[in-house]
Amino acid sequence: MLQTSTSAAADPYLPSRARSAIVGKIVLYGLLTAIALLYFTPFIWTLSTSLKTLPDTANFNFIPHPFTTAAWKSVWTDYDFKRYALNSLFLAVVITTLNLFLAALGGYAFARLRFPGREILFLLVLGTLMIPDQLRLIPVFVMLTNWHLIGNFSGYILISLVSAVNLFFMRQYFLTIPKDFEEAAKLDGAGFFKTFWRVMLPLAAPAIAALAILQFQGTWNDFFWPLILFGQGNEDLYTMQLGLVQFTFTYQTLWPQLMAGSIIAILPILVIFLVFQRFFIAGVTAAGIKG
Amino acid sequence: MATTTPTETSGSPKRDSLLGARVREAGWGYAFVLLPMVIFGIFFIYPLGYAIYISFYEWGILGKAPGTGNVGAENYRTLFDDPIFRRAIRNTIEFTVVVVPLEMALGLLIALVINARIRGRLFFRSAFYFPSLVSSAAITAIAIYILNANGLLNAIIGGNQAWFGDPSTALWSIVGLNAWTTAGTVMLFYLAALQSISTDVYEAAAIDGTSTWRTFWRITFPLLKPAHFFVLVVFGIGALKIFDQSFIVSGGTGGPVYSTYTVVLYIYNEAFKSANFGVAASAGVVMFVAILLLTLIQRATVGRTDIG
Repeated sequence: MLQTSTSAAADPYLPSRARSAIVGKIVLYGLLTAIALLYFTPFIWTLSTSLKTLPDTANFNFIPHPFTTAAWKSVWTDYDFKRYALNSLFLAVVITTLNLFLAALGGYAFARLRFPGREILFLLVLGTLMIPDQLRLIPVFVMLTNWHLIGNFSGYILISLVSAVNLFFMRQYFLTIPKDFEEAAKLDGAGFFKTFWRVMLPLAAPAIAALAILQFQGTWNDFFWPLILFGQGNEDLYTMQLGLVQFTFTYQTLWPQLMAGSIIAILPILVIFLVFQRFFIAGVTAAGIKG
Repeated sequence: MATTTPTETSGSPKRDSLLGARVREAGWGYAFVLLPMVIFGIFFIYPLGYAIYISFYEWGILGKAPGTGNVGAENYRTLFDDPIFRRAIRNTIEFTVVVVPLEMALGLLIALVINARIRGRLFFRSAFYFPSLVSSAAITAIAIYILNANGLLNAIIGGNQAWFGDPSTALWSIVGLNAWTTAGTVMLFYLAALQSISTDVYEAAAIDGTSTWRTFWRITFPLLKPAHFFVLVVFGIGALKIFDQSFIVSGGTGGPVYSTYTVVLYIYNEAFKSANFGVAASAGVVMFVAILLLTLIQRATVGRTDIG
């Protein structure tokens, strides 16, 4: 196709419509190249710098000279990024698991079980979407301080147990599952919890997978709440993002280390994204349409 | 209710078991939603009232200041008399007013390019969306590196500007950074909206011989109106909450010379640097009211849904 269009461009007797199609193609791919440069250069530059020596960062060569993985080793061991990564991994796994279990449990009840006050309670859940974190910040901090849940992970886990968005999406998903499955389970004598756990939860696996990925990403990336709840003092509790910001404040010009640390903070999300892109993109668009 | 059940045993056994099943179902329903509702109650709904309550007291790190009662609107007065808060509001509004149109323009441009059936469109869609998924800490660290006085940007444009270090460029550098990261998400919304436009209208325009440029401004752009509005409100609210980038770029100070001080950074510093929880809470309430108004305007004008 490209072949024919270049040879056609040389033809002076080309009809004007075909010529404007070629101009359109050139403009289109020109724009694409510009956008790609804008979006890829920072990441390539970050990776390149992380493999450089500090003196070499003064040069603007994209190929490190000499090439070294020293910065990676240094942030991972000397600057405690290993501990930050483990803390973040722990929090992301625990919060994602508990949050999705409760979202599925509540979502199922709101979708399928009949009980007085169900609609009002569900409206209350949706209403919490209107309450921004920036308003909750002060009262939640005061409450957790009074209960001695500041300065460790428990307060953060506690406030992250539920999310109205996840619960809402689980409810919507359960509404799309035909009732036949539950009725069959009931005929087999299964109770409500067993029906939920053995029949409905497996059927909702695609929704749970999509929300789990987004929740994991959100918790891994979270900076705001960890900063407030355990961001001062004990560095043993630092998450990946807190540790990276601390490093940014303290060793700002150790560029190879800072870039290696940034990539470590990005890497798990990149891997998950490469494997599960469809879930991310479908999730975002659905959230917007339903929002 | 439980006391009336025994008197009804005269009814048919079938009706009884039906009633029993209803009660059992309701019982399980409450059991399933109990824990989520308790947490929503304690950490979402109660704090709404508690924040308003705190905003009417002189409140320090240990709670209410001893010997002081309800101070009325005192904290709100302190807030609006504070030049730093007024500066924070100005910065936040300036940031929002500039960053949102930039995100929309860049997001729409990328969506149009990707929607034009280019080669590798799935790859490019993912690649341009990816920065939206990266943590604010990592993306800001990278920006600090690239925008420093000896950084890559200056090497490319041949300048020596310390982008985050100069009060006249610091906020606009955060604008550029956030427009760049967020445009990927905006692009996804526009792409969804573009794909829902019927091809008939384009065929009609093609038959009329309308140019691509005119087709865009006369047909595509107006048809995207619901998407424009959705993105404007949702990302406008998001922009008002700007905190991470200001905090990281300025080391928590909102500097240089208050140029990156935002409303949320003000809440943070009032509470955790100055221990004025009452004033911080009142700033949170102001923020909540502003966001609520924007949301209500959105709901009233476009309803809740359809972006296509």
